[in-house]
Amino acid sequence: MSHIIEIKNLKKYFGDTKAVDDISFYVETGNLFAFLGLNGAGKSTTINILVGLLTKDSGECFVNNTSIDDINKILPNIGIVFQSSVLDKNLSVYDNLRYRAMLYGMNKKEFEANLEYFINKLDLQEILKKQFDKLSGGQKRKVDIVRALIHKPKILILDEPTTGLDPKTRKLVWDMINEFRKTTNLTVLLTTHYMEEASIADNVVIIDGGKIVAEGSPLTLKNKYASDFIKAYKYDNEIIEILKKDHIPYKKDSKYLEIKFKNTDDAKNFLVEHSTLFSDIEIVKGSMDDVFLTVTGKELKENV
Amino acid sequence: MSKQSEFRRLTYLTSRNIKLYFKDKITFLVSLITPLILLVLFVVFLKSTYEDSLLSITVGFNLDQKLIDAFTGGWLFSSVLATSCITVAFCSGMMVIDKINRANIDFLVSPVKKSTIQLSYVLANLFSTLIIAFVLLLIGLIYLACVGFYLTFVDFLLIVFNIVITSLFGTILANIIWTFTLSQGVVSGVCTLVSALYGFICGAYIPIYTMGKGMQGFVSLLPGTYATVLFRQGFLNGVINEMGKTLPNEMIDSIANGFDVKMSFFGHDVSTIGLILVITISTLVLLGIFLLINNLKKKKTKK
Repeated sequence: MSHIIEIKNLKKYFGDTKAVDDISFYVETGNLFAFLGLNGAGKSTTINILVGLLTKDSGECFVNNTSIDDINKILPNIGIVFQSSVLDKNLSVYDNLRYRAMLYGMNKKEFEANLEYFINKLDLQEILKKQFDKLSGGQKRKVDIVRALIHKPKILILDEPTTGLDPKTRKLVWDMINEFRKTTNLTVLLTTHYMEEASIADNVVIIDGGKIVAEGSPLTLKNKYASDFIKAYKYDNEIIEILKKDHIPYKKDSKYLEIKFKNTDDAKNFLVEHSTLFSDIEIVKGSMDDVFLTVTGKELKENV
Repeated sequence: MSKQSEFRRLTYLTSRNIKLYFKDKITFLVSLITPLILLVLFVVFLKSTYEDSLLSITVGFNLDQKLIDAFTGGWLFSSVLATSCITVAFCSGMMVIDKINRANIDFLVSPVKKSTIQLSYVLANLFSTLIIAFVLLLIGLIYLACVGFYLTFVDFLLIVFNIVITSLFGTILANIIWTFTLSQGVVSGVCTLVSALYGFICGAYIPIYTMGKGMQGFVSLLPGTYATVLFRQGFLNGVINEMGKTLPNEMIDSIANGFDVKMSFFGHDVSTIGLILVITISTLVLLGIFLLINNLKKKKTKK
């Protein structure tokens, strides 16, 4: 698979603050790539450099094999959804989309053809004439995404697209994005601080203090950085003595006993060795929250 | 990017900015405050004040009421246009509103040149001002047609030229300020200040000759004053010429000087061509400053 985005040794400092400190990564064509980090970690700075809103101090960035120094060649291939909508509140949905589409050199016929595709796909007809400000949160997000895709870009950048949205709207947004990924070879670069969003990505980069602290697929990251747990609902009390003796960390409450292992192999071996002492168990893989906590030492949830 | 497609982008951005201005009812109404205030003041007391002033100069002569009405109406609409071309330009800009709503970010991540975006704000600002100014001119012409119409075709051309050049002057001046502005508070403040003060310092509300010597000297340094006098000439030359058929030359001179149809710069009379040159050169200088600022800003961003 080819690299549609490639970043090498990128640096951006604001005075003494190292917003982005020598990071390198790539995004493969057609992938969903998540950029995970707390607010101020350097995610948005990287995105802003990539789309020409900020200049880099040093390093190289390529989009579709073109350096971002030639930003006007890159921008037609990128669609971006910002954290909060940047569309015109007083204009209708149609006017908003039309004026934005024309910036990509589309004529009216091309615009109407592209719009038709989204009208059919997303049931836009009934809101097309409505003033943008009068739409619900979910409808606004829908229009934001259509605006980002109206010129049929190769890359969709989602800068914390679901922050502040209710669970129903978040699901709607993700259903839309997944639908487009299925039908086109769209590459999605997502910045988020929601673990559940990062965990569905093909690849994740965790950034902290401007530096990349971990990267890989969610499974690789969980295997490498997150512990596994055995949750025992019915067990012999003898197991407690064994855990104490072997210094294996555990937590016990009225419902179950939770035993923590470094990895899946350790959990599996322990079960095999003491299978007679358990009658109702489940093995739970560590979550992305655990990965984040391990690699950054910070709780992501606090910041959400 | 071809020049043709860039021009198309400019056209769409400009029409989007104009549409947004007329859709934003608050911005639209705020920009109309000055002409509305002037119209109300005229109905309440300015008309009778102008009439009294005119009659005090023409004592002993019986002036036709049609001439008086045409004169006061012409004075009113020259004041309305002299102020509106500047105040509407200051209050109808979309540049700062886009910065606040972050719509400008959306344009910056599109393949459109920054200079095209900037130019679209200036053009939209200019067109919005021109639309309002020409509507006001139309109202003025209808009013004058009802009370007494003495405008010649040349007067009309002078007014049209002056509307365009003064609106351009106001637009560029406003956009220079908006380039450095990020807050709606600053926009509202500047807009209110200009709406309240400009009419006084350009000689639109009260004749320049009624001001103190120091103030007269100060306003004669401002390009806006020259635009006001040009509007006076456009609207009042015809009616004064008509008055000249019955009134002596000295009296006509007194009316022309007393009502700012003539202007002097520290004792030297300024001709119509002189007035045109002052406002045109001032506009070109402002345009140069605007381009320079944007060029410097572009270089700074590239660093």
